[in-house]
Amino acid sequence: MKNRHVRTGARAALLLAATLAVSGFAGSKPECIAPAAPGGGWDFTCRTVGRLLHELKIVDRPVQVTNMPGAVGAVAFAHVAENRSKDGNLIVAASSVGMTQIAQKRYPGDADRMRWLGMLGADTGVVLVKADSPYKTLGDLMKALKADPNAAVTGGSSGAGGYDHLRLLLVARAAGMAGPDLRKIRWVQFDGGSTAVTQMLGGHIGVVTTDLGEISGFVESGQVRVLGALSPDRLPGKFAGLPTAREQGFDVVGLNWRGFYTGGKVTDGEYDTMVGGLKRLYDSAEWKKAAEQSGLTPNWVGGKEFEAYVRKSIADLRSLSQEIGVIK
Amino acid sequence: MSDRIVGLGLMILAAWYGWSAGHYEADFSDPVGPAIFPQVLAVLIAVLGLWLVFRPDPEPRWDGGLVLVVQAASIVLMLAYALLLVPVGFVLATTVLAGVLAAMLGARPLPAVVSGAAVAVGCYVLFTHGLELALPTGTLFAGG
Amino acid sequence: MDILSSLGGGFGVALQPFNLVLALIGCFLGTVIGALPGIGPVNGIAILIPLAFSMKLAPVEAMILLTSVYYGTMFGGRISSILLNIPGDAPAVMTCLDGYPMALKGKAADALAISAISSFVGGTLATIGLTICAPLLAKAAIYFGPPEYFALFVLAVVAVGGVGGANPAKTLIAGMIGLVLSTVGLDPASGQPRFTFDSYELYDGIDFVVAAIGLFAISEFLMFLADKEGGQAKRLPVGQIRSSFRDLIFPAATLRASALGFVIGVLPGAGATMASFLGYTLEKKISDKDGTFGKGDPRGVAAPEAADNAAAGGNLVPMLTLGIPGSGATAIMLGMLVTLNIQPGPLLFERQPDLIWGLVAALYVSNFILLVLNIPLVGIFARLLTIPTRYLMPVVVVISYVGVYSISNSAFDLLLMTGFGILGFGMRKMGFSMIPLVLGMLLGGPMEQNLRRAMQASGGDWAILVQSPLSVGLHLATIAMVAAAIFYELRRRRAARPAVE
Repeated sequence: MKNRHVRTGARAALLLAATLAVSGFAGSKPECIAPAAPGGGWDFTCRTVGRLLHELKIVDRPVQVTNMPGAVGAVAFAHVAENRSKDGNLIVAASSVGMTQIAQKRYPGDADRMRWLGMLGADTGVVLVKADSPYKTLGDLMKALKADPNAAVTGGSSGAGGYDHLRLLLVARAAGMAGPDLRKIRWVQFDGGSTAVTQMLGGHIGVVTTDLGEISGFVESGQVRVLGALSPDRLPGKFAGLPTAREQGFDVVGLNWRGFYTGGKVTDGEYDTMVGGLKRLYDSAEWKKAAEQSGLTPNWVGGKEFEAYVRKSIADLRSLSQEIGVIK
Repeated sequence: MSDRIVGLGLMILAAWYGWSAGHYEADFSDPVGPAIFPQVLAVLIAVLGLWLVFRPDPEPRWDGGLVLVVQAASIVLMLAYALLLVPVGFVLATTVLAGVLAAMLGARPLPAVVSGAAVAVGCYVLFTHGLELALPTGTLFAGG
Repeated sequence: MDILSSLGGGFGVALQPFNLVLALIGCFLGTVIGALPGIGPVNGIAILIPLAFSMKLAPVEAMILLTSVYYGTMFGGRISSILLNIPGDAPAVMTCLDGYPMALKGKAADALAISAISSFVGGTLATIGLTICAPLLAKAAIYFGPPEYFALFVLAVVAVGGVGGANPAKTLIAGMIGLVLSTVGLDPASGQPRFTFDSYELYDGIDFVVAAIGLFAISEFLMFLADKEGGQAKRLPVGQIRSSFRDLIFPAATLRASALGFVIGVLPGAGATMASFLGYTLEKKISDKDGTFGKGDPRGVAAPEAADNAAAGGNLVPMLTLGIPGSGATAIMLGMLVTLNIQPGPLLFERQPDLIWGLVAALYVSNFILLVLNIPLVGIFARLLTIPTRYLMPVVVVISYVGVYSISNSAFDLLLMTGFGILGFGMRKMGFSMIPLVLGMLLGGPMEQNLRRAMQASGGDWAILVQSPLSVGLHLATIAMVAAAIFYELRRRRAARPAVE
C-alpha cells in the first residue's frame, strides 16, 4: 500500500519533471549566470536580457541573475559543466573574451562541453592612432611594423595574448608578418580601452586596439584616427565613415560579441526553445534600443550556425596563440 | 621568542614565495615579467625576517587556559558557519552563530537565542528586501 | 561666468522635487551602507545599480541616486571607524587612528560631529574644484604615463613607513606582506595565475574587502573575547557633544587635507584610500607637536575625513572628463553611465550639459543633505554603543559575513575572511600594524603593473623610469622622504643619548 503511494508519487514527479523539461526556458525558474561581479559587461548582458525576456513574455517568470565571478568566466564554466549540464532553464553570458580563454585552454574543458545558443550583438574592434599620427591607413602602420616591429608601441585593455592583443596580431599576420616578428611587437596592457586611449593621447604609447563602444567619444571628438574597424562590413549610422580592415585588404574580423551558452547535456528540444526565445528577443525593438544604449551593434547568429562560428573562431585564435607562443 | 619564530617563519615564507615566483615565465613583450616583482619582495621580506630574529621585541602577553579554548571554539564555529551557510540556510545558521557568540560573551541562554534570531531575521529582511541580495534559504530542509 | 550659468541650469535639474527625494534616499542609504563594515562604496553602488534599473530611472536621476550614495558612503564609513574601531570602508581606515581613541575617551559624539563637518567641507570644496577646473585638471592627468604612475606608487609605499606601530621593521613587514598578497591571482599583463594553488577561487586575487573585514572585524571579536574573559568587558562610554561648535572645526587641517585629497582624487589610480592616508600623514607631520596623534587628536579625525571626501569628488573629474575611473566605486559608476548611453569623455561637457551640470549641482545638494542628516544622526549612531557589546559584537560578525557573502556568493571567501581574522589577531597581539598590510594590498597591483607597462613600452630599457621631469620629481620626493625619516631617526637617537649617559 505504502509502496504504491511512493510509486505514484515518483511517477507524478517524473511526469512533472518531463513537462518542465519539454517546456524548457519557460519552466520553474529561468536563470542567467553572469560569470563576473555586479557591474561588469557580463552582468549587464544578463540583467538586460533577463529583464527583456520577462517583459516580452518569452519567459513567464522574472529571470534570476546569479553573479559567479572568477578566472574570467572559468569558475562559472566549471560550475555549469559539473553541476548544471542538463539544466534547460539556464543561460550563461559569454563573449569573445571567454572564447579567447577557451582557445588558450584556460577553461576546464573545450567549447564542446557547452551548447552555444547565439550572439545578440557585438562591439567592434578598432585600430586607433592619435589624430596627428603619421600613419594614415592600416597599410601605413603595417608597412612600418613589417620594416621594424618596434616602430610603434601598441596597447589595449587585455594582457599580452588577450583578445585585444590577438586582434591586432591577426591584422599583422594578414599583412604577412610571421610568428617571430609578431612576438617582437611591443604590447602594453591597460585596465580599460579608454585608459589606453588616454595614454596614447598623452604620448605614452602609439597605437591602441580595443572595442569601439567604450572609446567612441574620442573618435567622435576627432582626437583619434581609426585606421581600421574590424567589422565584416562598414558600421551603420554615425560610424559609417570608418574604413574597415577588410576593404584595405586585411581580411580580419574582430567582433567582441555578447551572447549565451547553456549546459552541454540539455536536450535538443530545450536547446531549440532557448535559441528560439533569444531570437524573438533579438527581433524586438526593445533589444535594438537596449543594445545601442550599451554601444553594441545588434547582430544575430544563432543555433547551429553560432556553434560553427564559435568553433571556427576558437580554432583561429588557438592557432595564432600557438604561433606567437602564448600557449604551447 | 614569538618575534623570533615569526622572523623565521617569514624567512621560510620568503624562500618559498621567491622560489615559486621563479616558475612564472617572462612572457614575450614583457621585459620585467611576472617573476621579478615577487622575487624582489621575497628578498626584502627575508632580510626583515632576519632582522626580527636578531632584534625581537619584548614578548607579548598571550592568553591561556579558558580564553584560548573560547577563542578556538569561536573560530571553529565561524568556520562551520562559512561551510554550512548554504546548505543550512541563512536564518537558521545565523541564529545559531549570533546566539552562541552572544553566549560566549556572557549573555544568558534565553536572551542569546532571542537576540540571535532577531539578528538573523532582521538581516535577512534588510538584505533580501531592502538591498535585493539573494541570501541562501537552505537546501537541507527544502524537502527535495 | 559661463560656468556659473551652466551651474545655475544644473541646479534647476537637481532641485526638482523627485531628484531631491532621490538624493535624500541616496544619502541615507549611502550613510548606512558606508557604516556597515564590509559593504563599502563599491559594493553598495553595485548592489543599487539593478535597483536603479528596476525603478526605470532616467540617466540623470540614476546618476544622482548613485553619486549621492557614493558621497553618503564616504560619510558613513567613519561611523563604525569611530564607534567600533572597524573601518566601514577602505578610506575610513585612517579615521580609526584617532577617532576610536576619542570614542574611548568618551568623546564619540564629538568625533562624529567633527568628521561630519570636515567631510562636508572636504566634499563641498572638492565639488567646487570639480566645477571650476574639471577640464583643466583633467588635462594634467594625461602627463601621467606608466613611469610616472610607478613613481607615484613607490612614493606611496615608502610613505607607508610613516604609519603604524612602534617598530618600523614590523611596519615594513606588514606592508611587504600586503604587497605579497596583491600578487595573488591572474597576472593582468601575462594572464598567468600566480600563487593560486590551482584554485579558481584565487584567480581573481584576494578581495580587498574580504581581507580588510577579516583583519579588522573578526580579529576585533577575538581580541574582545580575551578582554572579556580576562576581566572587564570593554564598553565605550557614550557622550553628548561636549565641545562648542567652534571646537569642532579645524579650518587649517580641513583645508589642507581637502586640497591634498582633491588633487590625489583627480589622479586616476590613486583613490580616496590614499588620500585619507596621505591627508592624515601630512597633518601629523605638520601638527603633531605634542605626540597626541593616534591618541585621540581631533585633527587626526578631521584631516583624513576631509581628504577622503575631497578625493571622492576629485575622482569624478577623470571619470567624467576622460572616462577613466580613479577608484572601484567610480569604475562601477562608469559602467552604469555607459549602459545608460552616456559616453564619458572629452565631449561630455559639451554634449550633455544637462546631465553633467545637473549631476554637479546634485553633488552640492547631497553634501548639504548629508551634513543635515548627519548632525542629528550623530546622536542616533552614538546610541549604537548603548546596545550591550555582547549583543552588538555578534551583529558585527554576522554583518561582516553577510557583506562578504553578498560580494561573491562564495563559502571560500568566508573561510578566507576567518583566516584573515586569525592573522589580524596574531598581528595585533605582536604589535604589527594592520594598516600597512591593507595599503600594500591596494597599492601592490598598480605599482607592479605600471612598472611592467613602462618596461613593455620601452622594450626593456630601464632609463624610461626617469625620463620625464614628472617622474624624476616624484622619485626625488621619495628620496627626500626617506632622507627626512633617517635624519629624524638620527636626531631622535642623538637627543636620547645624553639622557642615557
